Amino acid sequence: MVKSDWITSPLHKAATVYRPTFTRFWLDSLEQAMFALRENRLRTLLSILGVMIGVLAVIVVGTVGKTGRDMVFAEFQTFGLNAMWIYRFWGEQHPFASVPAGSGITTEDVMAIRAGACCPAVSRVSPWVYTNPWEVLIRVGNRYSRIKVDGVDVDYFNIVNEEVKYGRLFREDDIRDRKPVVLIGTKVQERFFSMNSNPVGESIRMGDIRLTIIGVLKNKDRQFLSSIGAVAYDVNDRIVIPYSLYQQVLASKDVHTLVAEAKDTSLVQSALQQINSFLTRKHGGKYAYILEDMQTWVETANRYLRIITVIGVVGAGVSLLVGGLGIMNIMATSVVERTREIGIRKAIGARQKDILSQFILEALFISAIGGVLGLALGLVVGLIASSTLGISLMPPFSLLIIAVGVASLTGIVSGYYPAKRAAAMRPVDALRYE
Amino acid sequence: MISLQGVSKAYKLGDTIVPVLRGVSLEIAPGQFIAITGPSGSGKSTLMNILGLLESYDSGSYRFWGHDVSTMTDDQLAGLRNQRIGFVFQLFNLIPRLNALRNVEIPLMYAGVGTAERRHRAQIALQLVGLGERMDHTASQLSGGQQQRVAIARALVTDPEIIIADEPTGSLDSQTSHDIMALLQTLNQSGKTVILVTHEDEIAAYASRIIYLRDGEIRLDHQSTT
Repeated sequence: MVKSDWITSPLHKAATVYRPTFTRFWLDSLEQAMFALRENRLRTLLSILGVMIGVLAVIVVGTVGKTGRDMVFAEFQTFGLNAMWIYRFWGEQHPFASVPAGSGITTEDVMAIRAGACCPAVSRVSPWVYTNPWEVLIRVGNRYSRIKVDGVDVDYFNIVNEEVKYGRLFREDDIRDRKPVVLIGTKVQERFFSMNSNPVGESIRMGDIRLTIIGVLKNKDRQFLSSIGAVAYDVNDRIVIPYSLYQQVLASKDVHTLVAEAKDTSLVQSALQQINSFLTRKHGGKYAYILEDMQTWVETANRYLRIITVIGVVGAGVSLLVGGLGIMNIMATSVVERTREIGIRKAIGARQKDILSQFILEALFISAIGGVLGLALGLVVGLIASSTLGISLMPPFSLLIIAVGVASLTGIVSGYYPAKRAAAMRPVDALRYE
Repeated sequence: MISLQGVSKAYKLGDTIVPVLRGVSLEIAPGQFIAITGPSGSGKSTLMNILGLLESYDSGSYRFWGHDVSTMTDDQLAGLRNQRIGFVFQLFNLIPRLNALRNVEIPLMYAGVGTAERRHRAQIALQLVGLGERMDHTASQLSGGQQQRVAIARALVTDPEIIIADEPTGSLDSQTSHDIMALLQTLNQSGKTVILVTHEDEIAAYASRIIYLRDGEIRLDHQSTT
């Protein structure tokens, strides 16, 4: 038998209260937790899986929502974020009052606004003349179609970010001389001409007038809910002619909508007010106007999409909650199964916090590993979806942090109650447990 | 070292109160080898649990190194159990998933001893009980006698003054029982106070002082002269 100093050392020890260092304490607790988790691998794996699915769901739903918002925003931006639309408000007429005719906006008004004295916040302005699409019959060769016709000025294309695929946009002389020239949308090109050849120089007939195609407008993606307000139609399925020509055809000086652009994003609202008060004053208060701007639409759409995203994430959060309940269930079972072990540990000197920390770390480990795996899987799903769908579907960084943080918190919260119960057991009762 | 004055304890069973200890007074000096015996239901297990700071009592006083036990917090009691008392149980009570060395290290872990020293001291304790060759075996890979030796090593590893053994041979054959008792006797000779709880006279005979308990009272306190 080996003899050693410490076994036979004098009986008087300095202190009965011992204190492991902070690091030592947590490392030891973690080690004990690991031993316990390793003992029941299948159970550990299943709980990790539960958390993983919850985190994955949160990440996927959150990412889809965020990506959707980004795409809608990008689509709106193709119109130009500083764009505004002003048109007559027809509602609230007194039944016996004489209703003034006309659109309430004339070419002269537009020119006055362009001259700048009234409306310093406005940088560009264009008349926009149109009718209902079924009122205009278009003929190419021997094929007919009813298509939307827009009459606009040179500045129009700058305000709403229109560009040509072939040919050119309008010049000042096209407008001034009311030249019979036309720009067509890609859908019109598709309908009457080949998509592979350049139709510039060909002609189409609008009523009696023979219009020469000078350009094809570049396609604007229309996949989402951008079809609202004054642009609530497919801009790719229309033809565009000088407004002066269209006014002549319609025999009217009316401008149906005034399209304008603010000098700066922050000036949109003041620009609208300047135009509104100018028009009201100019026409002696005969007309009321509806003021629309792209910013408000973007914000409205954003608000709705954000609500949808939040609802989705909350729904996905429920599966994370279920994962948390799974942990709680498993920890509670584990505490009961290990009652005797807890008794032994307490008998040989474990304090409440020794037991508490071991069980909480077991729960935390499950949830943290589940969280990290869910995150990794979320990134993989994002990568695969991005490459197959051809759109960027990567989860935003903040979402990853939140998902793993919430998962870990779930683990601590759901591990706490069983751990507390284990820690509070009286050693003698725990030791008697069969 | 240990001083019990008129300690009583009763359990509640439904509406009836069953007294287990009735005014037990007991003085234990360092270095003694005491056997607490008595028939089942005599209260010897309860007395042992109270002595081992595992259970509270209803009335009377218990002074442990002059300190009143009833005023101590759970964590202070845990500290005393860790440093001053080593437990050996009838069912060995090793933690099944841990090997012998890990089991012996646990009291030192709760004492905040660093890993290297912990391992070193656990190895010495296991060599001391003759299990130097089987440190990496888990409980299921060891015989009953070997498991009890691991338990004794675990009880020794914090160098406590007192070893409390609750029916340590209750699950062992007679040859192994005598080996274990010889080991406890050796520990007593090296200065440890050993408190043994048993119902077997043959095992109690290893002790130098025998306390016979019946119906919750000490009926006999015999100190052998040798």
